[in-house]
Amino acid sequence: MKADVEPPACPKRGARLRRVLGLGPAGAAVPLIWVLPAVAFMAIFFVAPLVDNVARSLSLAGGFSGAPTSALAAYAKLLGDPYYLEVLVTTLVFSLVVTAISLVAGYPVAYFLVRKSGRYYSLIVFLLVAPLLTSIIMRTFGWRVLLARRGFVNSILMDLGIIDVPINFLSGPGVAVAGLVHVLVPFMVLAIASSLQGIDRQLEESAQILGASRMRTFFHITLPLTLDGIGTGFILVFMLANGSFVTLLLLGGGSIQTLPLLIYQQFTITRDFNLAGAMSNVLLISALICLVLQLRILKRRGVKGK
Amino acid sequence: MTRLLDLLRNPADLLLPAFVFLFFVFIIAPIAIVVWMAFSAQAYIGFPIPAYSLKWFYRIVEYEPFLNSLIVSIELAIASTIVAATIGVPAALALARSRAGFADGLATFLLSPISMPQIVLGFALLFYLSALGFGVSFTALLLGHTLCGIPYIVRTVLGVYRSQPADFEEAAAILGANRWQVFRYVTLPLVRPGIFAGGLFALLISMDNLPISFFFGSPDTNTLPVVLLSYTENQFDPSIAAVSTVQMLLALLALVVVDRVYGVKHMGAPS
Repeated sequence: MKADVEPPACPKRGARLRRVLGLGPAGAAVPLIWVLPAVAFMAIFFVAPLVDNVARSLSLAGGFSGAPTSALAAYAKLLGDPYYLEVLVTTLVFSLVVTAISLVAGYPVAYFLVRKSGRYYSLIVFLLVAPLLTSIIMRTFGWRVLLARRGFVNSILMDLGIIDVPINFLSGPGVAVAGLVHVLVPFMVLAIASSLQGIDRQLEESAQILGASRMRTFFHITLPLTLDGIGTGFILVFMLANGSFVTLLLLGGGSIQTLPLLIYQQFTITRDFNLAGAMSNVLLISALICLVLQLRILKRRGVKGK
Repeated sequence: MTRLLDLLRNPADLLLPAFVFLFFVFIIAPIAIVVWMAFSAQAYIGFPIPAYSLKWFYRIVEYEPFLNSLIVSIELAIASTIVAATIGVPAALALARSRAGFADGLATFLLSPISMPQIVLGFALLFYLSALGFGVSFTALLLGHTLCGIPYIVRTVLGVYRSQPADFEEAAAILGANRWQVFRYVTLPLVRPGIFAGGLFALLISMDNLPISFFFGSPDTNTLPVVLLSYTENQFDPSIAAVSTVQMLLALLALVVVDRVYGVKHMGAPS
């Protein structure tokens, strides 16, 4: 049969044959209608609640504290009050710092993984993925055990006679940054590694043969070629950092106030659901922006790949 | 040996491996220290650890909220994974080879809950589900966790099914199999590694979920992370270490079982 000779990638392959056999397009044994239950579930329990949340944040009746003056009262409060504005800025700056550190720390690891790891390749991938088997609570708890006043690091430093009095690591934003980088940096490494894997090594060799130093080759050839991976990793980590809440709740001793934390407090303590709704919508919009950016990068890469 | 000499001649080459080593110390240390602490005999967190015991593991059984919430978490993880797979697998199969223009858009839509801040989802779902009459219940938790599990299952099944040529199904159909037989004996076995890998992800994500679960907390519906959160806010003792270690071992066990039975490693590779 002619169809069997042609390569499998050809989309027109055996279309008539499949129709005769009742197999649907491209040989899928499953009709497109099977997507409906999932789409219906998502419409009812994902889209509708988020729309409902937007509606509630705009509603006049929902406020508990005083009489709201306009439909946008919650948003006016959020963007007009210097305190909330500062929280908004803190959230973005904190996420940017975490993402930048993840990038700077993750790139060399991705480079080592793809180019130099050799027989340690599987071990390194395992070490990157293994933390996923532990809960975030376990990891934040681990940081507290390491850095508490009577924790591991302080006891070592005191035994070595480097310090006399335990250092207070746990208050201040440093430990929160470390904790979040710890959770998110594997995503960055994997994103960069996958784009490093796609680089044609001959480009780098050509540059070196033509006299470029290793540094120059890296900054002029390798780094620009992995910009897609950097972009994907950057947006992914930034997005996750923006929405992260467990790490910040348990580390940093309340030294940083971010939007997710404030939503939590509005919900559990202040109980201003109107404002919490508005905050979650601001967070949602930033997530949607990240999602759109991510899709654009993926699409670009897809086109290039063909 | 010659490699070692090369390294000594060019010390700059040691920088990268040294950095990678430190990086993994950073990754592993907070986890290893918790496992170590779980075996401490002390009543508080402190170093050096003078004696070791298993008493904090007994505490999991003694302290009712730990055990109850662990059971809720396991039930919830398994139930939500099954529901997510039941509606996610058919959707992924239908979309994987569809050439309809909207198929890519629909796939993105089904994957998008991963990208949304979970605290926003939890907050929105609480009010929405309360209005629907579910309120704070296991059903409400199940719906929220299913929502988070669907993307993981859709993603892996999409990936595995797209990597398989249609030849197998065509061959079966040519040899006289009807649609149901093709699906049952060809398509399903082909994507089974994807289903189990995605299911494992969904299971682990559900076990670790806090931002959605805590909105639906009540004595009957508290999951392990919710109980651990309130416990850590008030106490700082090694029982958290013991519970976390057990939870990690359960996750590891799930990984090993799925890997042994269905070969997670081989997922995506055409058999």
